[in-house]
Amino acid sequence: MLFIGIDVGGTFTDAVLLDRGCVRASAKVQTKEDLLSSLLEALDKAMKGVSGDLVERVVLSTTMITNLIVEKKYDPVGLLLIPGPGLSHQHYQFNTGTYIIPGAMDYRGREIIPLRREQMENAIMDLADDGYKNVAVVGKFSSRNNRHEKEVAARLRWNYPDCQVEMGHQVAGQLNFPRRVVSTMLTCATREKYEYFVDSVITALSQRGIDAPVFILKADGGTLPLPCSTRVPIETIFSGPAASTLGVQALTPPGETSVVVDIGGTTTDLALILSGSPLLASKGAAIDDYLTHVRALAVKSVPVGGDSIVERVGKEIIIYSERLGPPYCQGGPMPTPTDALRVLGLTRLGDKDRAREAMDSLGAPLGMSPGEAANKVCNLVIDTISAEIQLMFTQWEQEPAYRVWEVLEKRKERPSTVVGVGGGAAGFISQIAATLGAYPVIPPYAPVANAIGAAVALPTLEVTLRVDTEQGYYSIEEEGFQEALDDANFTEQQALDLASKWLGKRADKYGLNQRIEDVEIIRREVFNMVRNWVTTGKIYDIHVQTPRGILGHIGAGGEIK
Amino acid sequence: MEKKTGLIFFPAFDWAISPTHPEREERLLYTRDQIFEEGVMDLPQIREYAPRLASLHDIARVHFCVPRVQSQVTEAHLIAAGSALQLGDAVVSGDIKNGFAMVRPPGHHAMRTVHGNRGFCNINNEAVLVDYLRRRHGLKRIAIIDSDVHHGDGTQDIFYHDPDVLFISFHQDGRTIFPGTGFSHELGGPQAYGTTLNVPMPPGIGDETLEYIVDNLIVPVIKDFKPDFIINSAGQDNHYSDPLGSMRFTARGYADFTRKLNPDMAVLEGGYAIETALPYLNLAIILALARLDYSYVLEPDYWPGRFTENAERASKVHRTVDYLRDVWEKRNSADIDNIFGKGDFYQRKKFIYYDTDYIEEEQIEKVKKCSNCIGYLLIESRGERGYRAPVRILAVTVPFAACEACQQEAYDAYHQAKKKEQYDYVYMQDKSLDTCLNYERDKNHEWSTEG
Ligand SMILES: [Zn+2]
Ligand SMILES: [Zn+2]
Repeated sequence: MLFIGIDVGGTFTDAVLLDRGCVRASAKVQTKEDLLSSLLEALDKAMKGVSGDLVERVVLSTTMITNLIVEKKYDPVGLLLIPGPGLSHQHYQFNTGTYIIPGAMDYRGREIIPLRREQMENAIMDLADDGYKNVAVVGKFSSRNNRHEKEVAARLRWNYPDCQVEMGHQVAGQLNFPRRVVSTMLTCATREKYEYFVDSVITALSQRGIDAPVFILKADGGTLPLPCSTRVPIETIFSGPAASTLGVQALTPPGETSVVVDIGGTTTDLALILSGSPLLASKGAAIDDYLTHVRALAVKSVPVGGDSIVERVGKEIIIYSERLGPPYCQGGPMPTPTDALRVLGLTRLGDKDRAREAMDSLGAPLGMSPGEAANKVCNLVIDTISAEIQLMFTQWEQEPAYRVWEVLEKRKERPSTVVGVGGGAAGFISQIAATLGAYPVIPPYAPVANAIGAAVALPTLEVTLRVDTEQGYYSIEEEGFQEALDDANFTEQQALDLASKWLGKRADKYGLNQRIEDVEIIRREVFNMVRNWVTTGKIYDIHVQTPRGILGHIGAGGEIK
Repeated sequence: MEKKTGLIFFPAFDWAISPTHPEREERLLYTRDQIFEEGVMDLPQIREYAPRLASLHDIARVHFCVPRVQSQVTEAHLIAAGSALQLGDAVVSGDIKNGFAMVRPPGHHAMRTVHGNRGFCNINNEAVLVDYLRRRHGLKRIAIIDSDVHHGDGTQDIFYHDPDVLFISFHQDGRTIFPGTGFSHELGGPQAYGTTLNVPMPPGIGDETLEYIVDNLIVPVIKDFKPDFIINSAGQDNHYSDPLGSMRFTARGYADFTRKLNPDMAVLEGGYAIETALPYLNLAIILALARLDYSYVLEPDYWPGRFTENAERASKVHRTVDYLRDVWEKRNSADIDNIFGKGDFYQRKKFIYYDTDYIEEEQIEKVKKCSNCIGYLLIESRGERGYRAPVRILAVTVPFAACEACQQEAYDAYHQAKKKEQYDYVYMQDKSLDTCLNYERDKNHEWSTEG
């Protein structure tokens, strides 16, 4: 039973080989321009002497899509929007060609303004004249009625068969039109490059004789079969932080409330594990100033790391978020938190004398010894990170609630452990934990926690069903599917059954022949529709999923070598 | 950067008076759909807050709940009131410029004594907020503008003798709609004459006349009154499509009103056109509070010029406005003894019907005409529900800045009533000390809460 986890990061590509709950081998190599060769190098190191056909499963996580988006290395996407009345159209600024077509649906999927054909033709023509080959077609309330989106997309494809077209209702069925626009736009923008990534992975694995199923980690900590994931490339944004969170989950005892602190060169990533499960963000992920619909773990990036530059300004010592090179003790130009750790004997990186020199340059004008200055710098880092952790917990407590039981269920939780992963963790974790009144933990294999997280991740599937018996239709949010339903007496139980049936359907579609026995009901709401004191129909809002979890805990079943 | 508008959206998707009652789970469902689909919560001008629970003492500071607070409130009520307090805190502390508590259940028909539910209300969210702001944050003068189609009789009742709270309500004429009050001659008690102003409107009145009321009464009176805090009791049943009201206000009209009033806080009240009005009205009000363009918000069945007002009815409202403006301007020279009679106390008798719970209440309310403070209140009330034995109570309210003599007399009255057989429950609501007492005869026991 061998499992492989691979994390393709911006700087390093990590791989681990798990054997029945034990880490059998791990590898860390530089990520190169040529993705295929980095993958092969990491695989070869991790697989030393192991035959590929023994591998049961491979899971990848990657920051590739995240980096593409942040660095804006994607083809421009033109937007054909059908917003109708509501917010001023001035709000729809997405830094790309945007063409508005009159027409509108309402919250129940009723057409309130028909699509204006002539204006549609003009918009399509303008967009083509401006040279857009990738197009996102998105309407307000399209997840309640996708007819307008389909009509515009069909016309576009008819006129310009070479266009790559994405429709909003297929990418993001949740409510929130602006986020649907962004999600659709980014899907359209990254699809081609993502397909290249998928091809590289499949080639690398087959070259090494691995024909086990391959999965990709999503931002929410679940996985998808790699071949199916090309439909939803943006689901992989932030799978890096998700991987390290799952890694910590696997490397710590079940059921604990911990905060994951991943201290890197210039940023520190924070995530919460509440009573053993990673916390999901209440809203979709934000990337590069764009708000998306991508379901993600609640992760937070704090702009402080081991290589952040430290400066004296007047009588203050200040940490900046920038990096100007390696720490002074490793030949860099400026004092950094790593130099402070070196002076205090909390790390062995770099040259001790240069570290003292760096701290002296900061402290001397303030009458501080190098040791005192180092303490001061460390405390700044610790205070910044601890404050952000506290804030994450408060924000979680203060998340909006729309039901009485949700308000009553609000609880206050504080971490029992602070788990450090990443290069800079060792020096800071015990003091951050002390500030929060928790125990510090640096698990074994912390440097490859993300690859371990990928290896233990499991597929998850969700279905959100909305039935409107009065309008006579139902929709499946995740599939962009809408169909007539001609049964005025449709019951809650039938709705639950329908949702479960769709969960099974989706499992088949994604080649997950796991049996859908355990269906978790996350939400089941029934709204009685009453008009003139007579019940005229019902709206059911049902959300089900397969259980979330990980393969197992490392070291729980066997010994770690 | 300009401060944000705070929102608490609490649709109480798991709370209803009954499955087919207008106050049911479905009421804010389409509003949720609209504001979430528009991405309102993501706007940089908006900050969404989580609701919180009001404490039982926050309720006792305002209401005499019979027999006690716990028996009149559900958790949903505490959350609705608590949401108003949460935003009130954020406005006063300067975290946000204004706030909108889009909450259920509503509250503006809940009076000072509460025997049950009336007009869908048990707890007056705005009144709880007013006394909390005064107690917790030391605010002095507060204005409440009620834009519900129904007269805000509960709010009026609670502040009728309080000159530090200005209450202005415009609503459909009480002769044609629940609760049958809110006439222009209801102007406040002898200690607070002119700080209650009612504009009853005949059916069919629209945006144009609303604008007249705002420009000629509400805005100038508020300017004179100089409140520390303005609350909009934001009922939405004046909308042309509301099934309970007969008015013709539009989403645009409500938004213009909100922009001109510029309240520190709005608290949702009624509004039962849950599909045709609420999604658009709530969106427009949010945008108006956040100073964003609301001109794109349009009801699907509305077109400019759809409604023309009846000139005669409009001029009737104009006359009421002019009359009230006159009352307001001359309020300090009014002959109070002539209006309310002489004597140490002013007394009024009230019959209150609880339409939801079928309770009849008879009440005698006395206010001390003190010249050193606004005077304490004595309330004797008898609530009768069907064939059950009536419940009789005596309740005493000591105002925030009570003089020593009033305080003494009020406590004497409370202690004397405790000795009298005729009262099942005796209450003391001392706002000056923020202490509430509740005595139950059968158990010979006194409970107290403090802030
Ligand atoms: Zn009303
Ligand atoms: Zn007095």
